[in-house]
Amino acid sequence: MNAEPTDGGFRNGPLTGPLTGLAEAVFGEIAARLQALADSGEESVIDLRSLPLTPGDRRELEERLGHGEVCAGLDVGGLSEVWECGYAGVWWVRHLGEDGMPRSEHIEIAAVPAILVTHAGDIASAAARLQRDAARPAKEDTRHA
Amino acid sequence: MTLLDVARGPALEFAFAVFAIGVAWRLLSVLLLPWATERSAKRPGTPSRAMGAIGLFVRHLWPAGPFRRNALFITLNSYVFHLGLAIVVFGLAQHIVFLQNAFGVSWPSLPSGVVYVVAVITLATLAAALAHRLTSPVLRLLSTFNDYMSWFVTAAPVATGLLAVSHLWAPYETLLAIHILSVALLLAWFPFGKLMHSFLVFLTRSETGAFYSRRGVEI
Amino acid sequence: MPERETIGDVLARRGVSRRALLKYTSTLASVMALAPAASRAMADALAKAHRQSVIWLSFQECTGCTESLTRSFNPNIGDLIFDVISLDYHETLQAASGFAAEAAREAAIAANKGKFVLVVDGSVSTKDGGIYSTVAGKTNLQLLQETAKDALAVIAVGTCASFGGLPHADPNPTGAVPVSDIVKDKPVINIPGCPPIAEAIAGTVAYIVTFGKLPDLDQRNRPRAFYGDAIHDRCYRRPFYDQGLFAASFDDEGARKGWCLYELGCKGPVTYNACATIKWNGGVSYPIQSGHGCLGCSEPDFWDKGGFYKPLSTNTGNDAEIVGAAVAAGAAVGVASALIARHRKRKAQTAKAAAKTEGQP
Repeated sequence: MNAEPTDGGFRNGPLTGPLTGLAEAVFGEIAARLQALADSGEESVIDLRSLPLTPGDRRELEERLGHGEVCAGLDVGGLSEVWECGYAGVWWVRHLGEDGMPRSEHIEIAAVPAILVTHAGDIASAAARLQRDAARPAKEDTRHA
Repeated sequence: MTLLDVARGPALEFAFAVFAIGVAWRLLSVLLLPWATERSAKRPGTPSRAMGAIGLFVRHLWPAGPFRRNALFITLNSYVFHLGLAIVVFGLAQHIVFLQNAFGVSWPSLPSGVVYVVAVITLATLAAALAHRLTSPVLRLLSTFNDYMSWFVTAAPVATGLLAVSHLWAPYETLLAIHILSVALLLAWFPFGKLMHSFLVFLTRSETGAFYSRRGVEI
Repeated sequence: MPERETIGDVLARRGVSRRALLKYTSTLASVMALAPAASRAMADALAKAHRQSVIWLSFQECTGCTESLTRSFNPNIGDLIFDVISLDYHETLQAASGFAAEAAREAAIAANKGKFVLVVDGSVSTKDGGIYSTVAGKTNLQLLQETAKDALAVIAVGTCASFGGLPHADPNPTGAVPVSDIVKDKPVINIPGCPPIAEAIAGTVAYIVTFGKLPDLDQRNRPRAFYGDAIHDRCYRRPFYDQGLFAASFDDEGARKGWCLYELGCKGPVTYNACATIKWNGGVSYPIQSGHGCLGCSEPDFWDKGGFYKPLSTNTGNDAEIVGAAVAAGAAVGVASALIARHRKRKAQTAKAAAKTEGQP
């Protein structure tokens, strides 16, 4: 996953879009927000889809942020890609639909991006299901209907 | 029907009709007037009527010696204004499609940025012309409603056009509608005010030139 | 009908994780330009909310709006909207027909009285008592009036329901009017477009369910989240407009270079919709990106604006004929006034000559 930088399918114009300097501005914004996270623990999100980034800007931003230690893939209503950037606490989150087309893309400045945290409701229902499945013989199809 | 629909449709229809009626009326009523009988003999060695007319026209492109000092500003300002207006009207792509739609001919457009700069300069010359009219005691005394109205209907399309392309102050559809309405006002006022000089200047200067040159007078 | 279940219960029963819901709300938050962090709050609120009962009525329409909503979403994540709402009546999608369908509608209205959201696609015929569009002997007009009476709010989906649309186009033979002309005592949200963007329909409904209130609307009652910007303002070809670089035909050099389509009649500058940002078919493209100007389909009377290929800066009237007639009229007046002047001159000359003769001894 993420072997090479893509434009994420956000073809906002010619594929070899020019650089508008917006990536620089977003980079500065991320820096300020990461400082806030370090100082006060304040988490924040920057929605990339609503910014008029050209594909060139997007690529520039992705290259400047780089890739860090963590990379996760989700299979939930289509694939999602999440990776920690070269700066700890900065996460790139890209949601694709079942058709492989992007649905949303954002930068999350947090210890863990929200989509990776297991929700209490899901834990409760999984616990109940596991209890039930543990009481059943192993060969039966135990997956949730 | 939105304001823009009114502007592009009925307002322009009305303006075109008034413009066409007025211009045809005023031109024909002047051109078909009986010519005054020429009672003086043509001076020997003076040019033909046509050459006399052209000669005066060319000489009057620049103020004559004694007037040059006083008329320099208004002459220069007027030149810049007329050239600027022509560049804006005939150079902007959006105007060319309008004219193409009306007359069926088209030509390459100028870069929009160039036209914007020229439009700003044109608007500045209009402001200068008004300031001059208001501050010069003689000119002020001579000025009538016709002068101010003719200034207003000329300045309004330039100003509203600049607003429309810059998308300032209001949504584009409103600005475009106001711009087109201001052009409609210009067209409707045109035949009845001083703007008619765009046609009549050729008649008056030519006739004056022909009249005086026959008598051997060069003005 | 599991309407007392919360949406969270429904999703849990279907094995849809909260991550899926969060992914859905983060998409919604993005397309609705909400604060990005709102997606988590939205997911929590949605999970706790009850499914919104929706009754969908189709009048003078082509079913394109329903197609837009049902076909453009991909499975799982997109069809979450159908977990958020309980679509209790929709003639095109339901299995029931005939008397059973009529009974289903009445039952749905009775069960959700005062609580359901009424979605309408299609315009309402009013001429001759509305007889030009009827279902089971009832005119659309009657059906709308009696159903809207018990609705919480009305959503007019598509340009026909919002502004009259195609049936309203000149000469409007059926006397078609938009929903808002009939329903005056309930909030009416317009989601115009021919068809509207699916995300705009789903997003608006999801917003109502999540926040329990109507979204912020513009002067034409369209949600600002989707209709706040002109296509032109978000168009990737905008820089070409600013530079004055226009395609003059659909196959010239300018068209190949992707220049602005203003001269080919693009209505993007006066059209408010989200096509340039959300795009169509899961974000693949939108008309201008595919090389054709915007038709202005989310604006009132888009059929009667002088032509899809007429540039915005041109006149729409029948001006050649008018100018021809006006020149003739002006010429007649001009000739008449010149003749009068000549006549006066002659008269004056005759009088002068007569006076001269008389004066002589």
